[in-house]
Amino acid sequence: MTSTTATELAAGGAGLSVSGLSKTYGQRGEIRALDDFSLTFPAGQCTVLLGPSGCGKTTVLRSIAGLVTPDSGRITIGDQVAFDHAAGHEEPPEERHLGMVFQSYALWPHMNVAEHIAYPLLTSGLAKTEIAQRVTAMLDWVGLGGMGNRFIHELSGGQQQRVSLGRAMVGKPRAILFDEPLSNLDARLRERMRMELLALRQQAPFTSIYVTHDQLEAMTLGDRVVVMRAGRIEQMGSPEEIYRRPRTRFTAEFVGIPNLLDGRVRDISAAETVVDTALGPLRAVGWRRDRQTGTRCTVAVRPTLLGVSRGTVGAGQTEGHVIRTAFQGSSSVVLVDVAGAQLVIETLAEERHEASTPVAVQPAQGAVFALLDD
Amino acid sequence: MLGAGLRSGSWNRAALSATAILSILMVAYPVVSVVLRAISKGDIGTEFTLDWIAAVYENPRSRDALLNTLIYTAGASVLSMVAGVGLAFLSIRTDLPGGRLLGLMALAPMLVPPFILVIGWVAMADPNAGFINIAASLLAGSKTSLVNVNTMAGLIWMTGLFLMPYVFLLVAAGFRNTDASVEEAARVCGASRLRMLRTIILPLQRPALLAALLLVVIMAAGDFIIPATVGLKARIYMLPSLIWQNSHSFPPRPGLASAQGLLLLIVGLLCIYFQRRALSRGARFTLLGGKGLRPGLFPLGRWRYPLAAISWLFVLCSSVIPLTAVTCMAFMKYWAPNALTASNFTLATFKYILFDYPQVWPSARHSLLLGVLGATGCVVLAIALTWYVIRMRGRLARLVDYAMVLPLGIPGIALGIGIMSTWILVPGGIYGTLWILLLAYITAHIPVAMQFVGSALHRVSTELEDASRISGQSWLGTLRRINLPLMGPALLGSWLLIYVVILREISLVILLYNPRTIVLSVGLMDVWANGFYPELAVYSLLLMVLGLVPVVVLGKFARFSAA
Repeated sequence: MTSTTATELAAGGAGLSVSGLSKTYGQRGEIRALDDFSLTFPAGQCTVLLGPSGCGKTTVLRSIAGLVTPDSGRITIGDQVAFDHAAGHEEPPEERHLGMVFQSYALWPHMNVAEHIAYPLLTSGLAKTEIAQRVTAMLDWVGLGGMGNRFIHELSGGQQQRVSLGRAMVGKPRAILFDEPLSNLDARLRERMRMELLALRQQAPFTSIYVTHDQLEAMTLGDRVVVMRAGRIEQMGSPEEIYRRPRTRFTAEFVGIPNLLDGRVRDISAAETVVDTALGPLRAVGWRRDRQTGTRCTVAVRPTLLGVSRGTVGAGQTEGHVIRTAFQGSSSVVLVDVAGAQLVIETLAEERHEASTPVAVQPAQGAVFALLDD
Repeated sequence: MLGAGLRSGSWNRAALSATAILSILMVAYPVVSVVLRAISKGDIGTEFTLDWIAAVYENPRSRDALLNTLIYTAGASVLSMVAGVGLAFLSIRTDLPGGRLLGLMALAPMLVPPFILVIGWVAMADPNAGFINIAASLLAGSKTSLVNVNTMAGLIWMTGLFLMPYVFLLVAAGFRNTDASVEEAARVCGASRLRMLRTIILPLQRPALLAALLLVVIMAAGDFIIPATVGLKARIYMLPSLIWQNSHSFPPRPGLASAQGLLLLIVGLLCIYFQRRALSRGARFTLLGGKGLRPGLFPLGRWRYPLAAISWLFVLCSSVIPLTAVTCMAFMKYWAPNALTASNFTLATFKYILFDYPQVWPSARHSLLLGVLGATGCVVLAIALTWYVIRMRGRLARLVDYAMVLPLGIPGIALGIGIMSTWILVPGGIYGTLWILLLAYITAHIPVAMQFVGSALHRVSTELEDASRISGQSWLGTLRRINLPLMGPALLGSWLLIYVVILREISLVILLYNPRTIVLSVGLMDVWANGFYPELAVYSLLLMVLGLVPVVVLGKFARFSAA
C-alpha cells in the first residue's frame, strides 16, 4: 500500500448523528431491535458498535445506510438530513454517499475486480479516463495492483475483502460502514486484515462506523467503542476506558473479563474505593458516587492482573487450588478455586500448574480494579 | 412505518402492487368464469340452471367419457410412475450399463412434442399398416395384428411414454442428492441393501413421489392431443375431447362443455393443492449434506443385462422410435402396408407443406409471434411478481405467491373455456384476436416462469443489491446491472422452455382461435382430419423444428433448473 495517494484517496469524511431511532421487527412488532437510540459519530473518527447478536448494532448501521427504515427518529449525514420520520423524509441509499463493507463481501460474480472498483464512480459523471485512473490508484492502495482483470472466484478471501474495501472507499464517501467485515476470515487472516485496517486509518483518517461482536477488533480499531445491549447503549468510551473500567456485568463479560468477585465496601476515598473480597482487600474505581461503607458490590478482575505461584501463602496472598491449566502458547490460563469461587488467571510464566496443586493467588502490584455499577 | 408516497422511490412499490393485483385477477377470473358458465343456461348472466352439471353424468356419452377418462388417467399415471421412478432409480442408483446416458435419454421426450409420439406410434402400431404388425405378418407368414394403437391400452401406452420424463425429473433430483452418510448409517445399523431401500431411500423420496403422481394425474386427465386424435378415431371419448366436440359440433352445447371443464378443473385444483402441500412438507426431508460422498451403487447382479435391455427399449420407445417412424413416414408417397420401399420415396410432401399448403405460413407467423411475445411477457411479468413476492413481502405478496400456482391445476381446455366465456361478453374486446391467445399463453405459463425466476432471484443475495444501492445505483439501475446479468441464464432458460411449450400447445387455444388467428399447432388438427399421414408427418416435423431452433441456438447460454 502506497502512502503517497493516501490523503487524496480518502480524506476526512463527514460527521453523522442519529437520534431517537427505534425499530421493531415481527408481525406485531414483538422484536425490539432499537429503542430510542441516539448517538453522534465525529468526523474522521472510527466508532465501533460492539455487542452480541441481536443487540441492534447492525440495525443502526443499516438504518444509516438506508437499507432499513426505522420506525421513528432522525438521521443526519454531514449537513444532509437522510431520514426524518416526523417530516416523512427518507433518502434512498444511493443518495446518501456512503461506502459499505459487508460481512459476506457482497461482491458481484459477473464482474471483475476493476469493474467492482469502478462501480460507485459510474454515477459520478467522471470521464472514462478519470475513472480508470482512480480505479488503478485504488487497486494499488488496497494492495490489488495489476489484479483488475481477475474475477471474484479467482481471489482469496483476504483479496475479496480488499476489493470490497476498495469499492467502499473509491467514491470518497462521507463515511464508511463496516458490517462485521472480518468475521468470515480465518483467524490468521483476520489478524492480518485487522492490522492493515489500522494502518489504513493511520495513513488517512476517515469517518467510519464499525460493527462487530469481536472485542479484540473493537479495541484495536475504535477511536471510541459503543457497547450495545437490547437496542440501547450500555456504555461508551475509549477502548481503554471500556476495558479498564466497565460499568456493568454485561460490559465486563462482553469485553472478556470473566472474574466478577462479590465484595463489601470497606473504605471510600475521592480517588478510589477499597473492597473486601475473597482475595482480600482490593483497590477499585467505579462510576457510581452514591456508595456507602459496608454495602455489597461487584469487582471485575482482569485475568492478567492476578498472579499465581506455588508454595506457602505469604502476606497479601490467598490460598487456592488449581482446577486445570490451559497452555495457549504465549501464555497459560490457570483456573483456580479460591474459597469456592472460580478465578481465571492468565500468566506469562513458564511454570505449569498441575490440577489440585495448592497455590498462592495475589493481585498484581499496584493494580486498580473496576467496581461495577450493578 | 412510513405511509406510501412518503418514501422516495415508492412508485416502484405502487406499480408492482398494481401489477400483482392485475395478475391475481388474470389467474382467478377463468376459474370463476368456468363455474358461472356451467350453471348458466346460456352465456354468463343468463338464467341459473343445474342441468349442465347433471348432464355430465346423465348424458350417456358424457358418462362414458367420464369413465374412460378415469381409466385413462389411472392407467397412464401408473405406467408413467412405474417407468419414471424405475428408470430414475436404475440409471442413478444402480450399476446398470450406460446408466448416465439412459438418464439423459429418459428426458428426451420433453424435446419431442406429444404429437410426434402420437403419429409415430400410429405408424408403428396401426392394426393394418403399423411397422410392428407388418413385421409380425412377415415373420408369421400370414396377416398378423400384434398390437393396436386404436385401443384404450394404446392410448395409455402413448400417454405413459409422454408423462414418464416429468416423473423422472421430479424423482431423479432426490435420488441424486441423497447423502451417502445417511445410507451408510443405515448399513452400519445392520440394515441390508433391500431393507435400506425400503426403510430409508424410498421414504425419503415420499414427498417427491407424491408430487410427481399428482402432476401426472393433472396432465393425464387434462390431456387433449391423444384423446382428440387417436381417441376420437377409436371412438373412445374422454372429457377433454368431448368438451371440444360439445362446443363445436352441432348443436353446440357450451354449457355442458363448461360443466365437464369444471369437473376437470376441480380435480386439477385439488391435485395442485395436495402437490404443493407434499412439496412444502418435502422441505423437511431435505438433506443438508453438502460435502457428502456420492452414495454407493446397488449391484444388480444377474438382473443387470435384462433390466438394461428393458430400460433401453422403453426409453427408445418414448422418443427415438416414434421420431424415426415419423421421419420415415414423411418421405413416403403414401402410407399403407409394406410402404417402406424405395419406389415409394418422395420429397413432394415437404414441397407441398412448406410451399403450397396455404395455411402453413400465416399460422407459423402467428405461432412465432405468439411464442416470442408470450415467453417474453411471462418472463417480464415473472420478474416483477417474484420481486414483489420475495423482496417486498407483505400480505398481498403472499396472496400472489399462492394465486400464481392456480394455472398449474387448470387443464388447458378448462382454462380456454374460462377465458372464452369471459371475453365473449366484452363487445369490442380481445375475443377473436391474437391478443386473447397471448393472454391465454401468459396465464397458463406464468407459474413455470415464476418458479424459474423465483429460484434465480433467491440465488441473488440481497447484500449484492444493497452493495449496489450504497454505491449510488437506483433500484432500476441495480436491477439492470446486478440482478438481470446474474439471473440471465435462468431467465433465458425459462424463456426457451415457455417458447417451446407455446409452440406445441393445442388444448389451451383450441377453443380460442378462429380462422384468422389460427396457429401452427392447432392447424395440426385440420391435417389430422384430412387423414393423409405423410402430410401429417411433415407438418409435425416442421412444428417440432420451429420449436427447437432457439433451444439449439441459445441453449448453451441457458440454465434449465428451477431448483
